[in-house]
Amino acid sequence: MAETHSLQDMRQQAAIAAKVFIQRDYTNGTVCQFQTKFPSELETRIDKQQFEETVRTLNNLYAEAEKLGSQSYIEGCLACLTAYTVFLCMETHYEKILKKIAKYIQEQNDKIYAPRGLLLTDPIERGLRVIEVTIFEDRSLTR
Amino acid sequence: MPGGGSSKSGGRGPSSSPLPHAVVPPSRPLRPSRYVPVSAATFFLVGSTTLFFCFTCPWLSERFSVAVPIYNGVIFLFVLANFCMATFMDPGIFPRAEEDEDKEDDFRAPLYKTVEIRGIQVRMKWCSTCRFYRPPRCSHCSVCDNCVEDFDHHCPWVNNCIGRRNYRYFFLFLLSLTAHIMAVFGFGLLFILYHRQNIDRLHAIVTLAVMCVAGLFFIPVAGLTGFHIVLVARGRTTNEQVTGKFRGGVNPFTNGCWKNVSHVLCSSQAPRYLGRKKCVQSVFVQPPFLRPQLTEAQLAAKILDNGIQGDLHRSKSSLEMMESQSCDAEPPPPPKPELRYPGIARGNTEECSLLNKAPPTPTMYKYRPTYSPSKNHTALTHAYANQLSRGESVGSARDSSSSTSSLLQANQQPGFRSQPSLDQRDTSSDRVGEGGGGGGAGGERREVGGGGIPGYSLGGRSYPSFSDPTVLAGVASRSSSSTHTSAGAAHVSEATTTSASFKSLANQTPPPHHPSRNGSLSYDSLLAGGDDFDKEVVGSVVPEVSTGRPCTPATVGYSSPFLSSQQRDPEMHSQSPHHHHRTTYHHPFLHRSSSSTSSSPPPPPERERLLGEPHAGAHALPASQTSSTPSSSAQPPPHHHHHHHHHHHHSHHHHHHSSSTSRPPRFAAPHAPPHHAYPYRTRSTDTPLGSSSTSTTHPSRSPYPPPLGKSLSYSSAAAAEMQYRLVRKASASAGANAAGVGGGGGGSGGSGGMGGGGGGGGGGIQTLKDDLIQMKPLSRTNGSQPFSSTSSCSAPSSPSHPVSMSAQPGVPYLNAALTSSPPHKPKGVAVKKVTGVGGTTYEISV
Repeated sequence: MAETHSLQDMRQQAAIAAKVFIQRDYTNGTVCQFQTKFPSELETRIDKQQFEETVRTLNNLYAEAEKLGSQSYIEGCLACLTAYTVFLCMETHYEKILKKIAKYIQEQNDKIYAPRGLLLTDPIERGLRVIEVTIFEDRSLTR
Repeated sequence: MPGGGSSKSGGRGPSSSPLPHAVVPPSRPLRPSRYVPVSAATFFLVGSTTLFFCFTCPWLSERFSVAVPIYNGVIFLFVLANFCMATFMDPGIFPRAEEDEDKEDDFRAPLYKTVEIRGIQVRMKWCSTCRFYRPPRCSHCSVCDNCVEDFDHHCPWVNNCIGRRNYRYFFLFLLSLTAHIMAVFGFGLLFILYHRQNIDRLHAIVTLAVMCVAGLFFIPVAGLTGFHIVLVARGRTTNEQVTGKFRGGVNPFTNGCWKNVSHVLCSSQAPRYLGRKKCVQSVFVQPPFLRPQLTEAQLAAKILDNGIQGDLHRSKSSLEMMESQSCDAEPPPPPKPELRYPGIARGNTEECSLLNKAPPTPTMYKYRPTYSPSKNHTALTHAYANQLSRGESVGSARDSSSSTSSLLQANQQPGFRSQPSLDQRDTSSDRVGEGGGGGGAGGERREVGGGGIPGYSLGGRSYPSFSDPTVLAGVASRSSSSTHTSAGAAHVSEATTTSASFKSLANQTPPPHHPSRNGSLSYDSLLAGGDDFDKEVVGSVVPEVSTGRPCTPATVGYSSPFLSSQQRDPEMHSQSPHHHHRTTYHHPFLHRSSSSTSSSPPPPPERERLLGEPHAGAHALPASQTSSTPSSSAQPPPHHHHHHHHHHHHSHHHHHHSSSTSRPPRFAAPHAPPHHAYPYRTRSTDTPLGSSSTSTTHPSRSPYPPPLGKSLSYSSAAAAEMQYRLVRKASASAGANAAGVGGGGGGSGGSGGMGGGGGGGGGGIQTLKDDLIQMKPLSRTNGSQPFSSTSSCSAPSSPSHPVSMSAQPGVPYLNAALTSSPPHKPKGVAVKKVTGVGGTTYEISV
């Protein structure tokens, strides 16, 4: 079976077999979107639909975070008026959505990915460049 | 604002955000010079305003209204708040990528990756410092030593990069400061007008002094404010503007004036990437795991794929290593056989996924000559022989069948490479030969371009696909079909299209098609082609670049696959931060190969013969990718003809990056290039060079002269003539910036940032496009002319070398170039003339 990578976090009992990186989808500019293309390494681990659903939801959440809506306008005006001191007390709209995303990813991991030996890493930890999917080796199966 | 320039610290600027949770570079040395502008700015701002409030405002409030000081106070507060936010806020620094993201890929992955944004091909460059492909609009700031999202420029007055997160504050700072200066000046004038009689009073004198300071600062501040108003309205960054990325072209990032403005001012504050609280994963993953049901088709596919997939990955690895275009200074280590995770088909590292991803983001192996995995070694050998017989500058010598064979052995390539590739190659060779016969420098160049491709693959690389006429045709057609408004954009997109086409073509061949299939072969081809392209493209310096890089006919570049990426890389990198410029200039793949050749492997004996200069070991098998000396030296010949046309441009660009001299650093690799241009990204650490983030550390000088591949790519870039110009322009501007020629050149703050990494990144797209355009069918030479003129590199920043884009059509240029030795001499750089195949003389900067 795959050896554990020295850099791998050993918090999981299962050893890490591989990592898949879902790249950003730049077809619409620099808006934060991730590719929904199903990576081949996950073919044996999870349903395509399930995975794409996860990525699509994440994309929607990021789109909402970056949306130029009334919330962001108000936030900007308030920040200007208070000489940006409001940032010390208030959480920005984007941060709120990021928290929502973190919760969503956690929930997806718990419900769907961990039982399949996968783990999603919040892309914010990678600078919103990739979604890292860690694949754990499956000792129960002979390869 | 003049680039702060100077201090390039290993870490981040003092005003940057807290250390990332990821890999943290050691603390940087303290550089007091970085703080001088910001201290001066603070001093003047606060001091003058305080004096104004103390000496002028009391009288004004009595005489007119108390609203006067209140208004001034509010404005000043606004100025201060924005100034502090611009100074202390994290501009959007990307944390360094973790090691797992690139894994072994950095040896194999190309230097550039193309993505399509709203129909426009944009190039993403591999950042060797941060270990990822820079997202669009991201650039690496050399001052802060970080990649910054939506990089605008590095502003010395606030001693911070201006990027996505703090651009708004910087913009508002400028607006409010302009208003503040106008108010102070106006009210001071009012005071003086009312105190003409007792002008010798202290209050009046102080007010006069404050007015002087205000008046002095008003002009530059207002100018900069106006500049940024235009940028915001257009949806561009300073980096893009000064590097001329979208000059004459379409900006894929704009949403219309109103939306651009509202995005800058009203969008929600972007999140910080560094210093975030790392969320602890509380999920416990333990087998047994659920598995999805496999369909019959899937099972069948799995069976078929067995073995090949693995091979592909392996080969891909080795290939990419060769063609890696990263500017890492150090030669990449020999291709690693394996997989970190043996249990899984490798290749899914971050870069892998990028490379293997679906069409929307095709990977562009700029320098990778090979794109048709189907070609096998034998085919290459034959092609090579054909090439030689034709008297082509067969850098293809690099083909060194021997090397390829050894490579082949090394890689257990699947046997699907078959004769057909050979046939194709022959065809292409024929084509090339004819082209060459057409003769004369121009012909040669053209054929090199065309033939370069074939020769490239022929060069004994396993990427015969390059030489595949279909591929070439495809590329050509693609490039020609691409209709980009702006020349720059056009070039880039074309270039990307072309290059993309190569890769995709390669990938389209036998199923598990992997460009790297012929591990060893691809490596070679990569070396030969990739480098050249890389270097070439960078070129505004193209001509220079070509000299720098072995501009020998594509074949040459090919011939020394072994020259490897190492050689290429240093060259490429050394070429300049505006690497991309150069690459765009040359055929991407050609370039790569040549550049790669520059690396350790000694050039094939034929190459030497052809080039007329000894290539120490240029053709050594890729195995030895030792130092990545700029193999460019080996390939001066091909660049020659380019030189005299573009030399000055080329030199400018070229040097901006690597050397200050006009001559392309490529050639001067041994001496010059501060950074070597690696066709591929190397894992080795590269000490970021000041000029460009991508430039790898030391100018790895390959023991061998620049690989022929370089020249090859150059020649193959015949069509790239246009791109040359464009690239030159781009590189000139970029180079100038990068080279720190003008650290302060024009772009004010932009220069600094640009020089650092912005130049490289910014020019990338443009050069890429140039390259594409150049890659266009050689027949298009005339057409290409406009492109060059439109070269986006407008570099207001002081290009040290005036970018003189000759508006000659590509073909004629080539002819001229080829036939006559370059009239221009690199500024201050010794030039060595090398005779290449077909009687072409190339100038190599020594």
